[in-house]
Amino acid sequence: MVELLAPAGTWDALEAAVNAGADAVYLGGKRFNMRLHRRDANFDDAALARAVAFTRDRGARLYVTVNNLVSEAELPALRDYLAFLQEIGPDALIIQDPCLLELVREMGLTLPLHASVMMNTHNEAAVRTLQAYGVTRVVFNREMTLSELTLIRERTGIELEYFVHGDMCVAHSGQCLHSGVVFGQSSNRGRCLKPCRWPYGFTAAGKPLAAERDPGPYKLALKDMCLYLHLPQLIQAGVVSFKIEGRMRTADFVGRITGLYRRAIDRYLADPAGYAADEAEWRELHAGRARDFTTCYAFGNPGAGAVDFSGAREPRFFSQAVKEASAAVPAAGLPSGGEGSPASRPLLSVRVADMESLAAAYGNGADVAYVGGEAFKPAKPWTLAEIAAAARLAEERGAALVVTTPRITAARECGELAAPLRSLEEMRPHGVMVSNPGALRLAAELTTLPLYADFSFNLFNSLTARWLQNQGVSRATVALEATGTQAAAMAAASPLPLEVVVHGPLEAMVMDYCLPRALLGNGTQPGLCRDVCRGGDFALTDSAGESHAVKVDQYCRNHILFARDLCLAGRLAPLAAGVGAFRIEGQHYGPGHVGEVVAAYRRELDRAAVPEALPFAPRPMGIGVFRYEASR
Amino acid sequence: MHDIGILQLTQHLDDAVRGFKAGLAEGGADAAFTYRSADGNAALLPALAAELAGRGVELIFACSTPAAKAAVELASPIPVVFTPVFDPAGAGLLAAGKATGMAGMVPAEAKVAFMRRLLPGARTAGVLYHDSDANAVLEAENFRAAAAGTYEIINFAVSRSDHLSTLDERLAVRPDVLFLPIGRVVEENFATVAYYAELAGVPVVASSPANVAAGALGALAADHYKLGYACAGQAARILAGADPGSLPVGRADEPDVFLNAAAARSLGLVLPADLVAIAREVYE
Repeated sequence: MVELLAPAGTWDALEAAVNAGADAVYLGGKRFNMRLHRRDANFDDAALARAVAFTRDRGARLYVTVNNLVSEAELPALRDYLAFLQEIGPDALIIQDPCLLELVREMGLTLPLHASVMMNTHNEAAVRTLQAYGVTRVVFNREMTLSELTLIRERTGIELEYFVHGDMCVAHSGQCLHSGVVFGQSSNRGRCLKPCRWPYGFTAAGKPLAAERDPGPYKLALKDMCLYLHLPQLIQAGVVSFKIEGRMRTADFVGRITGLYRRAIDRYLADPAGYAADEAEWRELHAGRARDFTTCYAFGNPGAGAVDFSGAREPRFFSQAVKEASAAVPAAGLPSGGEGSPASRPLLSVRVADMESLAAAYGNGADVAYVGGEAFKPAKPWTLAEIAAAARLAEERGAALVVTTPRITAARECGELAAPLRSLEEMRPHGVMVSNPGALRLAAELTTLPLYADFSFNLFNSLTARWLQNQGVSRATVALEATGTQAAAMAAASPLPLEVVVHGPLEAMVMDYCLPRALLGNGTQPGLCRDVCRGGDFALTDSAGESHAVKVDQYCRNHILFARDLCLAGRLAPLAAGVGAFRIEGQHYGPGHVGEVVAAYRRELDRAAVPEALPFAPRPMGIGVFRYEASR
Repeated sequence: MHDIGILQLTQHLDDAVRGFKAGLAEGGADAAFTYRSADGNAALLPALAAELAGRGVELIFACSTPAAKAAVELASPIPVVFTPVFDPAGAGLLAAGKATGMAGMVPAEAKVAFMRRLLPGARTAGVLYHDSDANAVLEAENFRAAAAGTYEIINFAVSRSDHLSTLDERLAVRPDVLFLPIGRVVEENFATVAYYAELAGVPVVASSPANVAAGALGALAADHYKLGYACAGQAARILAGADPGSLPVGRADEPDVFLNAAAARSLGLVLPADLVAIAREVYE
C-alpha cells in the first residue's frame, strides 16, 4: 500500500486535497492541535463531523491531529474531546503527548493511533513501546534516513509515515524549546514563532566569522523538503504514507501539490521499471516553490546543503530575536525558618561534566548528581572507570549518583547503551536517567536500577507522569516549557515525585545539523568536517545582541543554548510544596562555579538564607518561561 | 461563464477572496475562478499575473498592493479589481485606466478617535512603522497629522525587520500608547513588538485584527470580507461592459473594532463598555 496524505487547515483545502487524489487527509480541531496561530484555520466540532462523513463518502481516510502537549488544566476538556472524536470516528488520531496513550487505554477508545513527528520517535525500542499502546503508525523523525526506516519496519512491522514535501524544522521536532521558553508560545503547543528563521552571526572562540567565509545570515533556515524526484526509493524503502506538510496552506497549494504527487505515484505503481519523473510536472513543482528544495536526511545528513543562508526565498517571518527575560528583578525567596520537616524537603540535584565538579557538588550539599550522557567538546565522555569512581565518591559522601543517557538515542547510541547498562548493575549507582521512550525501554529491560525520566519527555501533565510510572520510572523531570504555575499544578496531581530544573544553561534546540562543520569545515562536502568542532567554543549571535552558545556533543549533534542561564533562585516558593527535587544543570560550568551555585541553592532550600543578588554568573541569567503565568 | 483570475499575495488576505466570490454569487454571476497565490513572496507576483493572463481570464481580482501592481503592469488590457490597497493612486494603479477597487484605508481621524475612546488618559503616542513600506509611511504621516494637538508623537521607524529586536531600547521613553500603522513587516513580527511592549507595560493599538488576537489591546480595521464583497459589485459592472477607469475607487466606510480583554487585564486597564458593545470581536 502507498498512501498519499495531504494536509487541510480549511474546508476548501480538504475538498481540494480529496479532489486532487489524496488517499488520506489530516486535519486538526480548534483544540489540542498544532498550527494554532490562525483563528480562521482548523475545524470546529461540527466541521470535524462533516469532514469524517465527507472523506468516508469519497473513499478517503481522515486523521485528526491531537498533537499538542496538554497542560494539567486542560485534561478534563481533553477527555470530552476524545469522547467526541470516538463518537464521530475518524480513521486515526495523530498524537504527541503520551497522556493520550494513557487516556485512550483508560477510556477504552478504539480509534487507531499514529505517533506524530512531534513525539521525536527515532529508535526501534520506542516503536515497541508505542505498539504496546495500540500505535499502528509512526511519523518518524526527519533526521532518519530511508535505510534506517526500512530496518525499523522490518524489525517491528510498524507502518512508516514520512514527510515528502514542505516546510521542515531544522531542530529535532518536539525537542525545540526556543519559542516556548522565550515567548511563552510553545512549538509543542502549535505556536512556534520560528526562531530558526532569524538571522544570526556566528563566532568561534569569540571571533566573528570572517566575512568571506560567511555564507549569509540565515544560518538555521532549512530549505523545504521535496522528495518528488525520489518516489521510487521511498516506495521501495517501505514507506506507506507520504505526508505533505502544510495545514496553514491554501486550498490551491494543497490541491496542486497533491495532484503532482498523485500522478507520479500512480504512474510509478502502474509501471515501476518503466518509470521516469515527468519533467514538465517537476518544472511546475520547482517553479512554484516557496523555498529551495532539499531531501533533508532521507539519504543521509545533508549538512549545509539543506540551508538557504541568503533568506532570499523566506516567505515570511513570525518574530524577530528578543533579549531574554532577565533574572535581575529581585525575588522573595523561600520563607526562612524551620517550616516543614527536613525529610519532606525537596532534594537538590545537579548535573556535572567531570569528577572535580562532582566533588564540588557533593561538597556543597547536592543530594543527587547526574553524570554521563552527552559530553560537549572539548570535554570527553564519562568512561566506565570514571563512573565507578563517581559511584564510590557518592557512597563516601552519603549522596546519590545517577547515570544519564543521551537525549537522542538513534541506532548508534542505542547500540552503545547495552554494555554500560549491564556494567551499572555491578557498580550500583542510585539510578539511571533516560531521555526518550526508547532509551527508557532499553534501560527497563537491561537494569534493575531505579529509572528517572529527563526533561526531554516534555512532561506537561500528571497523566503523562502516570504513563511514565507505568513504564517503570520513579522520578520524572517537568518539561522546560512549563511555567511555575503549570509545574506546581502538575506536581500537586502527579503520582510520581517530580523534579524541576531551576538553574543553569538550557538548550533551545538540538539538531543533527553541525554549524561548525557547515561554516568552518568544508560545509557541503560529505566526509570532510576536519574535526573543526574540537575546540568547542562557538556561538550564534542574534539581532537583539544576544549570544547563544553552540555546544557539540560526541555524536556530532549541535545543542544551541539560550542566551541566558535559567536562574530561579528566590523563586522556588510556589514549587516548594509539591516538587520532589530541584535541579541545577551544571554541565557547562567549571567545578568552582558548580560549588557556588549548589551552595546558594542549598542555603535557600534549608531556609537559611534568602538569596541576595547572585554573584555567581559567568553568563547572563534569566528566568526563562517563569516570566509567564502559563505557556500558551 | 466568466473566467476570473485571483491574484493573491498571502492567504492571510483570503477573507477578501471569500467576500468577492460571495458577492459575485449573490449577484447571480456565473464565474469560474483561477486562484494563484505568491504565498507571501511578492517577487513571484509578476509571473503569476502573466500566468493568469496566459489562461485568458477576463478580469483579475488582485489582493494587496503588490498583487494589484503586478496585474496592472501586464501588457494585456485585462481589467483589474483590487483590495485591500491602501493608496491606489499613490501606488500608480489608476493611471492606465484599467483598474478600480476598494481601498483598505481606514481614515487616520477615525483611528485617532478610536484611540481616544480606548485610552482616554494617553498623551504620548509612539508610532512604530517600517520606513521603506510606502503604505506604512503614508499612514504614519496621516496619523501624525490627525493626532496633532491630541498626542505628542514619538516616531519609531525601523528600516529592517530585525531592528525590532532592539525595540526595548526605544520604548525606554515609555509612550502612553504604541500605534502600529498597517504594514507587513511590523504585523508579521508582532510577537517581538508584543514581547517588549508587555515588558514595558505599553498598550499597543494595531491595524490588523490578527495582531489583536495575538496580544494588542485593540484595532480599528477594515473588514476584508466586506471589501471583497464590495469589489464583486465593481467586477460585475466591468463584466457587463463598464470601463474600469470610469468606476470610482471605493473605501472602507464602516471599519470594525477589535479588542483584547486579556491584554487589557495584564495592563490593568478596563475596556470601555461602549467600545465592547460595538466590537466585532473581543479576544480573550
